[in-house]
Amino acid sequence: MEPTRNCHATLVDLLDRVLDKGLIIHADIIISVAGIPLIGVNLRAAVAGVETMLQYGLMKDWDECIRSQETERRRALIATGSREAIAQTNLASV
Amino acid sequence: MSLRIQENGKAEREPAVKTDVKEEGRYLYCIVEARERVSLGKIGIEGEEVYTLPHKDICAVVHNCLAQPYRSDDHELIEAWVINHQKVVDTAWERWGVVLPLSFDTIVKGETADSTEQNLKTWLEHEYQNLKMKMEKVRERAEYGVQVFWDLRLAAQDLTETSPEIKKLDEEIKTKPRGLAYMYRQKLENLVKKGLETKADECFKDFYFRIREHAHDVRVEKIKNTEPGWQMILNLSCLVHKDKCRELGEELESINQIKGFSVRFTGPWPPYSFVGSA
Repeated sequence: MEPTRNCHATLVDLLDRVLDKGLIIHADIIISVAGIPLIGVNLRAAVAGVETMLQYGLMKDWDECIRSQETERRRALIATGSREAIAQTNLASV
Repeated sequence: MSLRIQENGKAEREPAVKTDVKEEGRYLYCIVEARERVSLGKIGIEGEEVYTLPHKDICAVVHNCLAQPYRSDDHELIEAWVINHQKVVDTAWERWGVVLPLSFDTIVKGETADSTEQNLKTWLEHEYQNLKMKMEKVRERAEYGVQVFWDLRLAAQDLTETSPEIKKLDEEIKTKPRGLAYMYRQKLENLVKKGLETKADECFKDFYFRIREHAHDVRVEKIKNTEPGWQMILNLSCLVHKDKCRELGEELESINQIKGFSVRFTGPWPPYSFVGSA
């Protein structure tokens, strides 16, 4: 199979690289701004959809954020009394 | 820099906030193997002129700007900037062959245009050996993204059919009253989930080693899920020699052929994931 670099289909791959990677310079000649990573996060959320952001690190890498998101979602479902929905949520998150 | 001169020239008529002397900056795109100061034309972010700043046989590829980051709330604008950044890196890569890309919004500062340039040159001088070593690592090589997904429904179905424990539980559920069946179903779901994780882990290891064979270096990236129904089980950045790209493609094709699996193969990218720090 051939690698692709079609601009639209690989935009997220491009953003991942250009925003988060590349040579890191440890010198005080570089301007540093706390907001820079935020631009990346905001942008990626816009491109890939918020849902995707929440699903970062599935399987063994479940982080606290995702766990609490999931817990909250289930709580909300429990509050509405929809057991079938909870079961489906469980299956969907497998 | 011309922008600065214009601003200063008009200083008397501008409001106070604009006459503040801002620090000079040089927006850094990448480091290349080249000896001369040349212009690449107005191909930079916001149409800025991109040129090289040399030290010995390496150059920083830059444009002139103020020492403040590019920021905006407009996602489309940032996206355009990032794509533009990538285009400049690509242009330099094509022209000089070896490139150490920097990430978006890396700006060198200084008090004046001269001191900014001097800061950058001093840094190039100081990091020269380190940068040359990195260039050797990426010479004749490019980065490729490899992602393997599996069809979650098919994988779960497969597991239910092949695991005696799950199969037994699945049949037991049918005989239980509703309340109890619900609890059993929870148990079943947990078992399936665990089983899938183990299976995904096995697949990861198998594919990882198969892919590793064809790459000079591999970075394991975070798993992300973007497509409903398809779960990513492996996400790698691979540094691959240009002569080995085909081999890798063939290996990936054989993984792609396995029922229920799908491979995404992107690149060639400049070696963003393999340049480390300086």
